Amino acid sequence: MPLREKRTSFRILIGLVVFHLLLISIQIPLGSQRKLFESAVFFVFSPVQKTAVSAFHSLESAWNNYFDLRRVRRDNQKLKQELFFLSQEKRFLEDRLETFKSEADIRGTLDRFRASLIPARVIGTDSGNFYRSLILDRGSLAGVRPDMAVCDRNGDLVGRTIAPVSLNEAMVQLITDPESSVSVVSSTHKVVGIMSGMPQGNHCFLRYILATSQEEEEGEDLITTGFDKIYPAGIRVARILSIKPTKSVFKEIVVKPYFSYATIDTVAILPRVSGGGE
Amino acid sequence: MRDTVLKDILRAAAATLTAFLFYSLVGGVRPALLVILNGFSLIVVTFSTGKGEIFGGVLGAVCGLVQDSFSLGVFGVAGLTKTLLGFWTGYISKRMDVVPFVRNAVFLLIMSTLELLLWVLLSAFALRGHVDFRHGILLLQPFVTALLGSLILAVARRVQARRA
Repeated sequence: MPLREKRTSFRILIGLVVFHLLLISIQIPLGSQRKLFESAVFFVFSPVQKTAVSAFHSLESAWNNYFDLRRVRRDNQKLKQELFFLSQEKRFLEDRLETFKSEADIRGTLDRFRASLIPARVIGTDSGNFYRSLILDRGSLAGVRPDMAVCDRNGDLVGRTIAPVSLNEAMVQLITDPESSVSVVSSTHKVVGIMSGMPQGNHCFLRYILATSQEEEEGEDLITTGFDKIYPAGIRVARILSIKPTKSVFKEIVVKPYFSYATIDTVAILPRVSGGGE
Repeated sequence: MRDTVLKDILRAAAATLTAFLFYSLVGGVRPALLVILNGFSLIVVTFSTGKGEIFGGVLGAVCGLVQDSFSLGVFGVAGLTKTLLGFWTGYISKRMDVVPFVRNAVFLLIMSTLELLLWVLLSAFALRGHVDFRHGILLLQPFVTALLGSLILAVARRVQARRA
């Protein structure tokens, strides 16, 4: 290989490496807004992802439709869909029962809630760390905006939508992401804390509970408070697994989220204006 | 010359799209497989072998940045590691005979291991020491990449030989 060609190759390599190092260095420390370039790449490629996954699911369902008993399958799908909405409504009702007095109020709000609920399918995952984010097949055209709460088919909290939201896809930051935080309260003793993901695995920490606090118990449920103005109040989030005293001011409390990563395929995006917390 | 450059650009675009489709399908159908099967690395090593370092480096950069844009990690970490992966795979494969299956598999294993190692180090640096190894399953990724990569290359060579 001529020396000149070799030099050109290494100049290109150095250029690419410097470009990436600059890109990395401007993002540290983490937690800042996503860069325009990153958002642009997401916008360009996310429709391809949706098309690929949709095409696969279409093929899969065509295959299933051929072999399955069609009527049973249709009924089953209808029931599943009904169950999906009922689970969301159940959670919503539990929350609202305390607030609303008249039946007419409840029915009216329930109708509005059902109409504003956005069902979505999971089409992608985070290749770097599973427990950080998901990609959904609904975007701004379906009314999705950043900071909308996302629940699984049982109405348990999964995470929130974050920027970038493209026309037909949206990214969800999971509650198991170490950078996420959810304001929660324990269901029995009403201890308020902040829940955030662990650096590894699918469990979370319940933070800022004073070491002197004696009220919380293992096995207690955690629900959202709505104080963060993102997650509506009353959504089931997690269960306390273990409580350990530490040398610091706060206890080390490990909690297990209710949503299961292995079975999450369909989710509900909740409207920002309802649900009790706002 | 212009034809070759155009062909290489088209080839890189096709490779990126293939990698992305692969990632989308695996992620959409069996997300758990993404731990051991990194479609972007697989495509980078497969397409860079024998194509030269410039092609490999640019393909690695594009594939890495696409992978980063669909992750909440630091944007550019996979871009950097895959740039180096593509560049050195292209560079070495042009100067060494890596055609025999076993030699090819060992070569790809070394390259993928080095890439994973660099990715872990950079992620640990950027994410303040937090990298999820998924109970060690992540360490299988280079083996899967090497095995599948050398299989794809062996099949491609056989098809080319039959055509010729």
